[in-house]
Amino acid sequence: MAKVLKKPDLSDPKLKAKLKQGMGHNYYGEPAWPNDLLYIFPVVIMATFALCIGLAVLDPAMLGEPANPFATPLEILPEWYLYPVFQILRIVPSKLLGVLLQTAVPLGLMLVPFIENVNKFQNPFRRPVATSVFLFGTAFALYLGIGATLPIDKSLTLGLF
Amino acid sequence: MKRSFLPIITRTGLSFLSALLICLGGIVALPNVAQAYPIYAQQAYDSPREPTGRIVCANCHLGSKPTKVEVPQAVLPDSVFKAVVEIPYDTDVQQVLGNGDPGPLNVGAVIDLPEGFKLAPADRLSEELKEETAGLFFQPYKADEEGTYVIGPIPGADHQEIVFPILSPDPKTDPNIHFGKYSVHVGGNRGRGQVQPTGDKTNNAIYTASVAGKIADISTGDSGATVTITAADGDTITETIPKGPQVVVSKGDAVEAGAPLTNDPNVGGFGQKDTEIVLQNPTRIKWLMAFFAAIMISQAMLVLKKKQVEKVQAAEMNF
Repeated sequence: MAKVLKKPDLSDPKLKAKLKQGMGHNYYGEPAWPNDLLYIFPVVIMATFALCIGLAVLDPAMLGEPANPFATPLEILPEWYLYPVFQILRIVPSKLLGVLLQTAVPLGLMLVPFIENVNKFQNPFRRPVATSVFLFGTAFALYLGIGATLPIDKSLTLGLF
Repeated sequence: MKRSFLPIITRTGLSFLSALLICLGGIVALPNVAQAYPIYAQQAYDSPREPTGRIVCANCHLGSKPTKVEVPQAVLPDSVFKAVVEIPYDTDVQQVLGNGDPGPLNVGAVIDLPEGFKLAPADRLSEELKEETAGLFFQPYKADEEGTYVIGPIPGADHQEIVFPILSPDPKTDPNIHFGKYSVHVGGNRGRGQVQPTGDKTNNAIYTASVAGKIADISTGDSGATVTITAADGDTITETIPKGPQVVVSKGDAVEAGAPLTNDPNVGGFGQKDTEIVLQNPTRIKWLMAFFAAIMISQAMLVLKKKQVEKVQAAEMNF
């Protein structure tokens, strides 16, 4: 807890108007300059540098095998963030359908800005449909992503059943 | 009594003599075959690793079983460390031996090291490592090349964990070696193979019907079984099954082409694992430690300075 804390000046009508709208929180509390910007930001920046450099020295990136178009590796896997869509392509029996389903992912995301205002509330608990869709989508993407790393016969059940 | 006793002696004697002859012949003609089956791979493949990343043992050892490997995350140059290959299996299980009898499983392993890494010479081994590698003979995959070693077959019961003692290279003495991260490929096998180097099946494989038809006859003898199949067009085909696999079809059964005639006697299998190892520069570590210390001192200084400024701010009510 910072010792230097500015109290909100509630006699200021401008601040009161802002607070009413859920804004103006930067008018009180710990001052950003110099307490945060000059002293704490460099601490965080230096820690980030130290972590990156430490990783670069202790766990350097490996030079992989040279690419050979005539020898497909036995197990192919894309970068980790593509595991869920890779799994879609892998488990759908038709490659065309797989590609279409992969395209459906960014298309569905593009629709979000147009349909999210159907419910005017921002609070996740007051927009249950959107929240459930989000949570289900996240869980399903994780499930697909984990499945992508398993052999095909285990990838749907994750080898649990 | 006497009449039946004599032929037995002669027969055992004869078979003993022929076995001895075959063994001697084998030793004279192919000195390595009796010792190590990786020799098959060494004769057939230039490198134990195919361009696809598959280790060639998998071409004859068709079963798939897990293999684990443990190497240090990083090693310093010119130091001895161990790569532990684990080949777990249930030691209660017995496999079909070459003569068709059940017997214990053997294990074997192959390790493909990064450039410059090689097997540690005996005089560099610690007492602990000497004990762990006692009695193990690691053979270079190719006689004049270092970096790839095979071992086996050795009794599996006491060698489910094979320790390879490895010496890391020194970039100071060899300009071709650089510090960095490299991949290590390891394969571990338990049990006999399913395919001979000639492409034929061993007696540790599943035997299938070559044509669709009806099983006309099954005769079981000392050296295996013969299954006669009458095909739809009237041809009779005889499938010879060596001693080992159990015939699972019976006379009169209809079989498809490719349908199994025997059970799968194989209890073993091969597994491969890729891992990574860092050849680390000790001076880099020292400088990294110094750098970390400098960062930590700077951070502490900044926080102290902030506390000092806060005191001034509080005293002057200037915020």
